[in-house]
Amino acid sequence: MARYVRIALITLALGGLIVLPLYVESTYVLHMMILIFINVIVGSSWNILGGFTGQYSVGHAAYFGVGAYTTMILMQFKHVAPWWGVWAGTGVAVVTALIIGSICFRLRGPYFVLASIAVAEIFRVSALNLKNITNGAEGILVTEVPPLTVGKTLITDWASKVPFYFTGLIFMVMIIVVTALVRRSKLGYYFQAIREDQDAAHSLGINPTIYKNTALAISAVFTSLAGSLYGVYVGFIDPSTVLALDLSVQIVMICIIGGIGTIVGPVVGAALLVPLSEALRSNAITDALIKAGVVSAESKVGAFLKENLAHAHVLIYGILVVIVILFMPDGVIGFFRKFGARRRTA
Amino acid sequence: MSILIQALISGILIGGVYALIGIGLTIIFGVMRVINFAHGDLLMLGMYATYYLFAAAHVDPFLSIVITTPLMFLCGAFLQKTIINRVLDALPQNQILLTIGLGLIMSNTIMLAFTSDYKILSTKYSSSSMHVGGISISSPLVISFAITAAITAALYWFLLKTDTGQAIRATAQDREAARLMGINVKRMSIIAFGLGSSLAATAGALISPTYYIFPQVGSVFTLKAFVITVLGGMGSVVGATLGGVLIGIAESVGGVYFGSGWKEVVVFVLFLLVLLFKPSGLLGKSRT
Repeated sequence: MARYVRIALITLALGGLIVLPLYVESTYVLHMMILIFINVIVGSSWNILGGFTGQYSVGHAAYFGVGAYTTMILMQFKHVAPWWGVWAGTGVAVVTALIIGSICFRLRGPYFVLASIAVAEIFRVSALNLKNITNGAEGILVTEVPPLTVGKTLITDWASKVPFYFTGLIFMVMIIVVTALVRRSKLGYYFQAIREDQDAAHSLGINPTIYKNTALAISAVFTSLAGSLYGVYVGFIDPSTVLALDLSVQIVMICIIGGIGTIVGPVVGAALLVPLSEALRSNAITDALIKAGVVSAESKVGAFLKENLAHAHVLIYGILVVIVILFMPDGVIGFFRKFGARRRTA
Repeated sequence: MSILIQALISGILIGGVYALIGIGLTIIFGVMRVINFAHGDLLMLGMYATYYLFAAAHVDPFLSIVITTPLMFLCGAFLQKTIINRVLDALPQNQILLTIGLGLIMSNTIMLAFTSDYKILSTKYSSSSMHVGGISISSPLVISFAITAAITAALYWFLLKTDTGQAIRATAQDREAARLMGINVKRMSIIAFGLGSSLAATAGALISPTYYIFPQVGSVFTLKAFVITVLGGMGSVVGATLGGVLIGIAESVGGVYFGSGWKEVVVFVLFLLVLLFKPSGLLGKSRT
C-alpha cells in the first residue's frame, strides 16, 4: 500500500515539475528552481560518498570547479558545444577524483576531512595562478552559447531559462535514480558496510579502497555535471565562486540539514536552504518585516536591515547548521520521522 | 643568498605568530578531541577588537592584547560551556560541522556589524623596517615575534609547572584516567577552549598592523592552523611551536622560489605529504 502511495507521489511530483514551465512564466521562479536543482544534484552526489560511504569530503568544490572549468574553457576558447563539453568535464572530474581518492582515502576520520580541504584549496590556488588556461582571478565570461540543433531543426537557442530548467531537471532525476539504484544494489551494501565499520567490512572481503573510490567517482561525475550546468547557466565562473571552500561547506550542509544518508534528505535540504538564502539576498525578508510593521522603513533598524541583511545570507547557513547538529542530528527528515514515530506509539 | 637569508628570517618571525595559532588549536584538540574549525574566526575577532580599540581609543595594537586576550578567554569559555560541550560525544564529523557553523556565524555577524570592507590598521611603525647587514626586517614583525616568544614561554611554564596546567595535560593524555584521579574534566575543557581562543585572538592582534582586516580573513588562518598542528602532531604543544615556525619558513622561502601566488600550494602540498607519510606528525604519538 505504502509503496503505491510512494509511486503515485513521485509521479505526481515529477509531472508537476515537467509541466511547471508551461504555466509559470516568472523568470524568478524558474531561476529559483534551477538553483534548487543544482543544489539537489550536488547534495545528492555528496550524499553517495558522505552519506552512504561515510567519507565526509569537505572538498567537493574541486569536482564542481573542474567540471565548470572544463566545459567553459572548451566552449569559450575551443568552440566545443557545452553538451559535448559536460561529458569531457565528467571525464576530467573522474580522473581527478581517482587521483585525489588514491591519496586521501588512506586517511580516516578528521584526517580525511582535512586532506580533502587541502586538495580543494590546491585546485583553487592553481586556478588563480594558471592564468593562461583559466584566466586567473578574472574568471571566464561566456559571450555566446551555441544553439542546439538536431539535423536542421533547432531544439533550443538557450535564450530563455526553460532549456536550463529541463537540463537541471534531467540531471537531478538521473542522480536520484542512481542513488536509489545504488542503495538497493550490492554496491550500496558495500558502501554502507564501509561506513559502519571499515575494518569489519575489509575482513569480510570488501576492498575499502576500491569501493571508496567507486563512490567518489560516481559522486564526482554528478558534482561536475552540476558545476558545468551552473557555469553555462550563470555565464560566468571564477575560482572564488566555483572552487571556494564556502561552496564545499555549503554542499555538505545541504545534506546535514536535510538528513544524511537518505534519498530525500538533499532534496529537502536544498528546498529549504535555496529559497531562504535567496529571500535574504533579494531583501524579501526585510521587505516583509517592514510590511508587517515589525520595523519601520525609516527607522535606523529598518535602514540597517535593508542595507546589510542581503549580504548575510550565509549567516542563515551557520545558524541552521548549529541548530540542526545540536537538536536534530539526523537532519530535518530524521527529526520528523522520529517525531511521527513517537506520535504513532503514543 | 641574501634573499634566501631574508626569506628565512621573515619566515621565522611570522612563524612565531603561526606557532601561537597552532598551539591554541592543538590544546583544544588535545583536551577535547574536537577539531576547531572556527579557530581562524576567533583570530578574526581578535583582529577586529584590536582595530576598534585602536580606532576608537588609540590603544596601541601590541598593548591591546592586555584587553583582547582575557576578553577572548571569556568568549571561548562561554562557547565551550554553552555549545561545544554538548557535542563532545557526537561523531567527529558533526563536531567539525558545528564549529564550521559557529565560524560562519562569527564572520557573518562581523560582516553585518562592520561591513565587508577591508580595513587597514596603520601605526607609525607599520611599514618601518630594521636593517642588519644588508638584510631588512619589518619592525612590527620583530615586535610581534618578541611578544609571541614571551607568551609561548609563559604558556610552557603554565602547562609544565602549575597545577591547572598539569591537570590540562593529564586530561589531554587520558580523559577517563584524569577523571578518576579527581580532575574536574569539564572545567579543564572550559579552560582549554578559553585558552585556545585567547591564543588565536592574541595572534590576530599581533598581526593586525601588517595584515588586511576583513570578516572572511579567518578561513585562511583556520587552514594554516590545521597544517601547523598536523605537521607538529595533533595535541603536541612543542610540535605546534615547531610546526608554526616550519610553516612560516616554508611559506616565505616558497614565495621567493615559486612566486607569492604559489606559496599556499607549497604549504598544502607539504601538508598532504605529512598526512600521507607521517600522519602522526613530527612529534605526535602514533594514532591507535
